[in-house]
Amino acid sequence: MADNSPVVTPIGPCDAIPGTARLALTLLVIVVSSLIPLEHWPAHGLLLVVVFAGLSLAGVTLGYLARRLMLFLPMLLVFGLSVPITQLHRESAWGWMVSLWLRCTISFLAGLWLIHVLPFPELLATLLRWRCPPLLVAMLAFMYRYIFILWDELARLRQAREARNFGSGSWKRDWVTNAQMIGLLLLRAMERAERTHQAMLARGWDGSPKFLGTEARKGE
Amino acid sequence: MHIRDGILSPEVCVVTGLISLAAVGYSLRKLRLDLEDRAVPLTGMLASVVFAGQMVNFPLIGLPVSGHLLGGVLAAVMLGPWAACLAITLVLVVQAVLFNDGGLLSLGANILNMGVVGAWGGYAIYTIIRKWLGNGTMTAIPAAVIAAWFSVLAAAALFCFEFGCSTGSQEFHLRGIFTLMVLYHALIGVGEALITGSVLSFVLSRRPDLISIPGAASPITNVSQFVMAGVVGGLAIAAILAPLKSDHPDGLDQVVQQTGMEARQIERDGLVFQGYELPLPRGFGWSTLATSLAGILGTLVVFGIAMGLGKGARWNLPVIESGEPHGR
Repeated sequence: MADNSPVVTPIGPCDAIPGTARLALTLLVIVVSSLIPLEHWPAHGLLLVVVFAGLSLAGVTLGYLARRLMLFLPMLLVFGLSVPITQLHRESAWGWMVSLWLRCTISFLAGLWLIHVLPFPELLATLLRWRCPPLLVAMLAFMYRYIFILWDELARLRQAREARNFGSGSWKRDWVTNAQMIGLLLLRAMERAERTHQAMLARGWDGSPKFLGTEARKGE
Repeated sequence: MHIRDGILSPEVCVVTGLISLAAVGYSLRKLRLDLEDRAVPLTGMLASVVFAGQMVNFPLIGLPVSGHLLGGVLAAVMLGPWAACLAITLVLVVQAVLFNDGGLLSLGANILNMGVVGAWGGYAIYTIIRKWLGNGTMTAIPAAVIAAWFSVLAAAALFCFEFGCSTGSQEFHLRGIFTLMVLYHALIGVGEALITGSVLSFVLSRRPDLISIPGAASPITNVSQFVMAGVVGGLAIAAILAPLKSDHPDGLDQVVQQTGMEARQIERDGLVFQGYELPLPRGFGWSTLATSLAGILGTLVVFGIAMGLGKGARWNLPVIESGEPHGR
């Protein structure tokens, strides 16, 4: 089920680490960065260097990193600033703000590393190994498969929308068009789910998920 | 809407994670009974729709930014609270591990705010309003609109509470940021309510059979429905009221101080929530937190009284025979 994933990940040095360890490592970095007080800022710097090294090992380009940070940092800056701005006379708020910025940036970069080194099928296997309920993992696998199909469906609906002069009318009409688009997507998806369910039944589905290849994965 | 890693303290993440774990486990068990072998395809597909639906941007009048659907209440209206809670959970997991949108460690808090309070609580409010309006087909729209607004505001209030717990030991106040947060989410909630309403009206015009009447076979029993609706409503009201309570003594307090009617103090000491503040350990920056908590508790108490009165009075509400829930 997991091996047919359309995403091809390049083999890098980070792939030598087992999937479980990758997830655990990321969580460890996030927890540690939250626990370091601001007085020990060199530790923050060290952690940033480690995460950055990991990112470059995973083959993340600087341009991509800049684009992601451009979307992420403004919101973080505003959120952090809003605490000391509302109480200028309190010194401690400024220190808290800087430590929030450091914590969040390190965690964000660590998460970015994880999504680059942990392909989704591997994550599913890891979740199964961590005693995640198989039903939930099966739903996750199902969702992962259909996200891309619905994405294409949405692209087709969008194209049809543009072809019908979307955006040149009133604000209200655009709003209604968008709502109808989501509604149509919902209806088509629900009908698709019914058909998929019938197909699953025809192939012997009895409601209890079974995963192929999880035994083989345990040995890695 | 998504909480990033680093904003909440690890302790808060662990606690919210445990609560979410229990809620997701309970939803899974209920769903297995509810949808049987259809659970995986229906819930997985619903999660994909919510995920794709969040990609559609809605223009806001005269503003360069745009809003999008959050989908908790819409999902709950379509497939019930258990499937909706799981669908939102799946969406959050995929957004975190596939797109790095929202934190890994704070996943539990996100699930609690949007999946549990958003879907369960939103559905409870939806059911109650629908019953109250008489369970007609078109009553689904106003019920879902109100539930959507409440669910967003309750999620914002819960975030403020979690954030307050995370920074509880600091000596600065968070009232300003809470006010901003609630105002901002009151607006987001209006957007969410409008989108939910218009999507639902489209679905109702095409396939009204897809939306079942939450009648006797409702997956939530009456009591838990009231409790969930009360929690969400209380959180939303506390969100609005808690930041508004100012540092200055209120009118009555001021009069008491000016006229020196200290004898009246005894009367006020008898109150449970003295000055709307729970008696928590001092010197720990608990003040704002305690105010919020007292607000929530107060609302719950009021709700309990209202519920008791409602049961005692037996209002003559129109009884609607709930027909066969449209099975598909």
